[in-house]
Amino acid sequence: MLKIRWALAALSLAASTVLASASAQATDVTLWVRTSSGAVLQGLADHYNAKHTDKITVTQITAEQMVPKLGAAIAGGEPPDGAVLDLIYLPTFAAAEGLEDITEFAKSRPYFSAMSPSHIRLATYEDKIYGVPALPDASIIAYNTDLFQKAGLDPAKAPASLEEIAADAKKITALGNETYGFYFVANSGSWLIYDFLPHLWAAGADILSEDGRTATVDTPAFRETVAAYRDMQKAGAIHPTSRSGNGNNAVEAFASGKVGVLMTGSYIVNLLTSKYPDVKFAVAPIPGPKGGVSSFAGGDTLAVMKGISAEKKKVLLDFVDFYMSPEEQVYITKESGMPSRTDLAADAYASFDKRNLVAYDVLSKARTPYTFSSDELFVSRTGPFLNLIQGTIFGDDVDGAIKKAQADFTKILERTNP
Amino acid sequence: MAFPTSPAPVAVAQGATPTKPRPPAQPAEPKGWLGLVFMAPSLVFITGLFLIPLGMTLWMSLHNWPLLGRVKFTGLANYAELAHDMQLWHSLGFTLLYTVLVTTAIMAVALPLALLVDRPLRLAGLFRTIYFMPVVIGFGAASTLWMWLLNPDSGVFAQLLRGAGLVDSAPRPLESFWPALGVIILMVVWKTAGFTMVILLTGLQAIPADVIEAAKIDGASVFSRFRRITLPLMRNSLLLALVLNVTSSMLAFDQFFIITQGGPANSTISAVFSIYLASFSSYRLGYGAAMSFVLLVVLVAISSVQLAFLRQRPEES
Repeated sequence: MLKIRWALAALSLAASTVLASASAQATDVTLWVRTSSGAVLQGLADHYNAKHTDKITVTQITAEQMVPKLGAAIAGGEPPDGAVLDLIYLPTFAAAEGLEDITEFAKSRPYFSAMSPSHIRLATYEDKIYGVPALPDASIIAYNTDLFQKAGLDPAKAPASLEEIAADAKKITALGNETYGFYFVANSGSWLIYDFLPHLWAAGADILSEDGRTATVDTPAFRETVAAYRDMQKAGAIHPTSRSGNGNNAVEAFASGKVGVLMTGSYIVNLLTSKYPDVKFAVAPIPGPKGGVSSFAGGDTLAVMKGISAEKKKVLLDFVDFYMSPEEQVYITKESGMPSRTDLAADAYASFDKRNLVAYDVLSKARTPYTFSSDELFVSRTGPFLNLIQGTIFGDDVDGAIKKAQADFTKILERTNP
Repeated sequence: MAFPTSPAPVAVAQGATPTKPRPPAQPAEPKGWLGLVFMAPSLVFITGLFLIPLGMTLWMSLHNWPLLGRVKFTGLANYAELAHDMQLWHSLGFTLLYTVLVTTAIMAVALPLALLVDRPLRLAGLFRTIYFMPVVIGFGAASTLWMWLLNPDSGVFAQLLRGAGLVDSAPRPLESFWPALGVIILMVVWKTAGFTMVILLTGLQAIPADVIEAAKIDGASVFSRFRRITLPLMRNSLLLALVLNVTSSMLAFDQFFIITQGGPANSTISAVFSIYLASFSSYRLGYGAAMSFVLLVVLVAISSVQLAFLRQRPEES
């Protein structure tokens, strides 16, 4: 294990030394980007480099390696100049004093009020802002309008509550021929926070307190949500791959036309229309157990690493101004489905699928858990959140699973709260 | 360390006191530094790649060592926490269970395979190659391959079974414990039985043909020849295969990380997997180091028992 850590540290050290020597001309800045956003950021960097003498070099990092690699690079004293991170990690790196305070820059932007509120909330630590939104996305539901019609449901009207989804799902499952009413990715923590937590938020509840320091697992909203899922599971309305699914098959399963409602994200619209144009579908925000809507504000935040030179910082912030321009926002919308600014809908969506607007509209109500230990609480395969969902939806002992999760959450929080 | 070419009289002349001449039968100590030079490369490797990392693991295990943030000396706190870590003990227990089952399965498959291909037939070479082929695939690649083969929606196994009309709906072995463990063992046997077969084959081929022939002439049956002659004479290669299989099974990681991903309900988390989770999911490098050290102690204990068996010569027992 130690060997792996040292190999990792040595590797990132070597990588950053190479990068550091390449950026010796003071106007070259390096930017680490998680792979899923790599193509868009590379495109933006290319546009920027074509028009400027300064140069942005994008390095792609696999999503699940971003925290260990960036952590090792910071510990080794050779971090990149900037990073485009999953927004959920901002509190972790800000609290560990790895990021540069850019409060003044952010607040003085004319488009400050148009930055996704959840991105700014996550980037804020002790009243200072450490990042600005790069690429947002939001979780939504997609439903197959053909199946809705066949099951005698109104395809023009999205289900208004989770209990309605459960009722619809059972009707769709009754169509037979291996058709299932509902699909959610139940064996991946990062999918579950994206698609499951919005049910709770829609009902005004949350699994963590506002400051992320205490756990509030046992709420009526949670129990109602779980009851609706169990109802579907008991009726056989949940696609059998849901339980062990890690996301690999979700889109394909929905595209096969045999899934009624899929818990998914805003990127699904452009993905389905380009790869599976035959699927008839509509999208809607994620409802709470008895009504209300919410969404997980996901995506990436651009952060500046602590201690970089003033010139490099200037170039990076100049790059932010560049990609926030209306022209580049249209490019971002085309590539990833949603603009970083919330005041450009008319420009950004003019020539794209209108279904993208559903996620855009819900972004103002969207939330993200503010936490210092996202991986340990939510993402880890042995983590308390994954055990909670698997235990309460597929297990026999709901009370026991809730009690254990509350204890496990508390134990981890007590250790990791800064 | 006797060098037959080293000139004994020179050494005597240099170091001996004239009053006590050494008996000439005892060759003098060869130049010590030469031995050191010969050993130096492996000493460098052992020090650099084993002893220093081992020392650092121990050092780290005495600290609260997060990936980000400050390192704090905590003494034996990590070890105290280990003692109450149910997840760790469960994963150690699971690893032992897996080791027993998979080693038995591999031996049960590899020994017959070795007996089958130990024939002076021309085709035997072809079959040896076929059985050995999966061994050359990396464990990670093989696991990824099987992950997709086992996929209930688009995997080959599900399609074949349904196509043949054997099952109505796709089997989902990864959703309950025993089927999940079963397919993992199946995959590991497919992947590694060929290697064990080769080890056993070398043992088989080292058995002198005249011993077997003598037994035949004495009228020993096939089974008693196997039990009384083949098995005892290939004892060392059997033990070697056992040691190698047990050690690699105790360190199993890839197949559980990739195929079952620890599921269902955390039941297939091996010991190395739990070290990985502590270090790279929870970012508790100090705690991970303490777990690594405990696993090392367990492994050394198991291996030394096995090596003690290996050291006994067959003629002594």
